[in-house]
Amino acid sequence: MIIGGLMMAGGAGAVLRYLIDHLVQRMTGSDVPVGIMVVNLTGSLVLGFLTGSALHHGVSPLWLTVIGTGLIGSYTTFSSFMFDTVGLAEHDQWAWSVANLVANLVLGVGAAALGLALGSLT
Amino acid sequence: MPAASNGDVRRFPEPAVRLVAIAAGGSLGTLARYGVERAIVPSPLGFPWATFAVNVTGSLLVALVVTLVVERWPPTRYVRPFAAIGFCGGFTTFSTLMVELVQQGQHGRGGAAAVYLTASLVVGLAAAALGMALARGRLLPGAGAGPLPDPDDVDPLEASAHHRPDRPVGPSPIDAGRDAGGARP
Repeated sequence: MIIGGLMMAGGAGAVLRYLIDHLVQRMTGSDVPVGIMVVNLTGSLVLGFLTGSALHHGVSPLWLTVIGTGLIGSYTTFSSFMFDTVGLAEHDQWAWSVANLVANLVLGVGAAALGLALGSLT
Repeated sequence: MPAASNGDVRRFPEPAVRLVAIAAGGSLGTLARYGVERAIVPSPLGFPWATFAVNVTGSLLVALVVTLVVERWPPTRYVRPFAAIGFCGGFTTFSTLMVELVQQGQHGRGGAAAVYLTASLVVGLAAAALGMALARGRLLPGAGAGPLPDPDDVDPLEASAHHRPDRPVGPSPIDAGRDAGGARP
């Protein structure tokens, strides 16, 4: 039951990431991986919200696992973030590489904190 | 939708098959991450070893696979969607890392959060760089560096499958040395 839910949610999260990433990259026409950043920030906000709700209002563990671990865990990605950051540096775009690293982390922590706060309130 | 021509085995439009490959890889990657989370006993010091482990190994794997696909292998169509975008993307997670960091901070363990963040980044970046180096056969001088494919041979679909179609995928400056050394055919 939980395995099936996880696999469906994980597959959906990966497809969602791919589609949003492509949409954002096409809209911005950017050399910098803005698409993955949008994915990672929105995912951190939602996972923060889910975690805050679970802590303060009780969310069923099954729901938290399938949506949190499955959908959002698969939607966001650390590997592309690392690979893109190294790739930018390798193409001598050091400033963008550092900017990508810092922006993802600072805004990601902010998004997760905001999500946790909102989840605790509502 | 253009139907397959000339008796091609592909009966579905290529973009749809790519989405299926991404979904299949994402399912397996998510399941593998869940398995690691269940298998690794929470550390008494509170270091999130499971997230750290999946993120670092996934970073190595994605760099290895994408570099092989783009620079070394003959054109492939679905390796990157399945293994890189699907499996590695689903196996690693950014949101869990962020929420864990904030929770460590909120529980007065700012020092632990700083260690966790620094370790994830330093080891993650090193893993990605290692994956690239392994794919290029640079770790053992003179060994494993088979012929690089002509850039024109790379399947444009595969080459643009990642999220930055305009990203230069040509040889990096380091490759210039290889060319001078005559490793290319």
